[in-house]
Amino acid sequence: MRASRIVQAIALGLALAWSLAPIYWMLATSFKNELEASALDPTLWPHAATLDNYRGLVGGTLPFPTFFVNTVVTCLATAAVAVAIALPAAYALSRARFRSRGAVAYGILVSRMLPLVVLLAPLYLLLLHAHLLDSNLGLVVGFTTFGLPFAVWMLKTFIDAVPIEIEESARVDGYPRWQILLRVVVPLILPGVLTTATFVFMDAWNNLIFPLSFMTTLEKQTLPAALVVSFTGQFKTDWGGMMAAATVTTLPLMVAFFAVQRSMVRGLTAGAVAGV
Amino acid sequence: MARISLRNVGKRYDDVVALAECNLEIADREFVVLVGPSGSGKTTLLRIIAGLEHMSAGDVWFDERRVNDVDVGDRDIAMVFQNYGLYPHMSVYDNMAFGLRRRKLAPADIDARVRRTAQLLDIAPLLARRPRQLSGGQRQRVALGRAIVRDPAVFLLDEPLSNLDAHLRVQMRAEILKVHRAVTATAVYVTHDQVEALTMGDRIVVMHQGRIQQVGTPAELYDNPVNRFVAGFIGTPAMGFIECSVERTGNEVALRAGDARVGLAPQRAQAVDRASTVVVGVRPERLSLVDDASAHADTLTVRGVVQVVEMLGSEQYVHVEVPAGMLTARVTRDRPVKPEEIVTLRAAARHLHLFDAPTGAALTAPVRGEI
Repeated sequence: MRASRIVQAIALGLALAWSLAPIYWMLATSFKNELEASALDPTLWPHAATLDNYRGLVGGTLPFPTFFVNTVVTCLATAAVAVAIALPAAYALSRARFRSRGAVAYGILVSRMLPLVVLLAPLYLLLLHAHLLDSNLGLVVGFTTFGLPFAVWMLKTFIDAVPIEIEESARVDGYPRWQILLRVVVPLILPGVLTTATFVFMDAWNNLIFPLSFMTTLEKQTLPAALVVSFTGQFKTDWGGMMAAATVTTLPLMVAFFAVQRSMVRGLTAGAVAGV
Repeated sequence: MARISLRNVGKRYDDVVALAECNLEIADREFVVLVGPSGSGKTTLLRIIAGLEHMSAGDVWFDERRVNDVDVGDRDIAMVFQNYGLYPHMSVYDNMAFGLRRRKLAPADIDARVRRTAQLLDIAPLLARRPRQLSGGQRQRVALGRAIVRDPAVFLLDEPLSNLDAHLRVQMRAEILKVHRAVTATAVYVTHDQVEALTMGDRIVVMHQGRIQQVGTPAELYDNPVNRFVAGFIGTPAMGFIECSVERTGNEVALRAGDARVGLAPQRAQAVDRASTVVVGVRPERLSLVDDASAHADTLTVRGVVQVVEMLGSEQYVHVEVPAGMLTARVTRDRPVKPEEIVTLRAAARHLHLFDAPTGAALTAPVRGEI
């Protein structure tokens, strides 16, 4: 019994160290000065801690705050658009009985089964002809393409868990379907809606390849893409600045995750949602 | 307030026939109970009346209005679901007010109605609570309240008591009848429990395998079941059945099962017609345990082996295996009976129900009279 607990503790400790080590390295490097950050013999923690890298983000030559705003705006818009489209779709897939229901449900999922790069060329052409390349709107369209199927399926499982009698009560009470969705179903699956939106948001935030491909103006770029294009030069790489930028890029994701973490767990143990 | 009229209603799911040729007239303000075993189609029929389920054939009329294509919300019905179907995210008050708000009633009017209904159902102190903070019985009352607060024309109840414990169930039966008297709605009530049906219904509709077997008052169903299914389904303990051969000597017709023999009165003999075997049904309270095994012409006297004895306090149910069937006797506990014991049961010939052996249809009802 005791021995197995010790083994457990060691295993968990290793897993924790494995996943946290890169994050620690990112944090530590972001506080090192340029010399220490690029030293051939790396230091485990910053010997001369400095905030210069963070100051450089705001006051430097690169429009770092603009990148941040770009990312927040496009990702929030993607989450909102994806959930707004996915909700009625998921509701129909969950409740309506039509012949091609299964085919439609899996058809939606197909784009999710393809690697991201496969979607890249067709999406590029579509955006090109729609004159949406190099625009935030085009980016939202791209992100949504990838986030929507997932959102539909995730919301569908939440809606499936709502007892049908509750909706039938609302039908007997005289409410039309769309009002039942908004006034009865959505309040009941609110944790699920938030969880889905957060997942889509994080997905979009992490997306590197779409902004790199669709955006040409540096000022319109998102954080992850800007990180790659701005901090790696031909002859030297500004590790400290890059890690400071990476830290700032990571923080909102962590905040988002911890904000919905409780409802996410509740959402994943669905069925308890309706409670009656 | 509405008359409900079902004409030739049928429902198929692909190849499965769930309902066939259902015809039923329900009078205004009547309390009708649909009863049957699970899978008999009673809930499907109720949901067709509600408009929650499409029918494959037939028509549903509310008064002079054909409602086949009328949406649930426009039928002026209210429904109580087996799991109550309360809105978990709303207070009791809002649960009841939700339907009224849809009808664009004035807030003061809504408030007055909700409070009046809450008073009627003794849930006034619970108005601010959420459904999950209520007990099963309280949820049941809220579900009833939500249904009647709108003063619907038709009040539909789908096994509303099946989630309650036995004690509460008996209490809520009376409550529902009280509520029905207080409102002017026509009520249709679905249950699988025939005791509930007998105690609550003005009239009862017995369903089996998607068909209406018999419609009648509780007494009619109990005294004159039209077939073997209704006879066996209605009544506790259930009617016992034995298969008998028909013997004809001159003008006399008698039934025989093993050693037992019973003569039939002339008009009943006529009903038996040319059948060679009939099924005899006997209600448990019509049987008595006797000590002398001698046969009489106008009684059925049959010997058998006791299988099970159920003690119910004031009385006992004795299940006896007899030649060609099982009989249950409901008798006082004056005479102790043990399993494996050989006993003699007797019933008056006029209390026997006769059924056609192949079809199960009733041949004649017993002549009614004092016991």
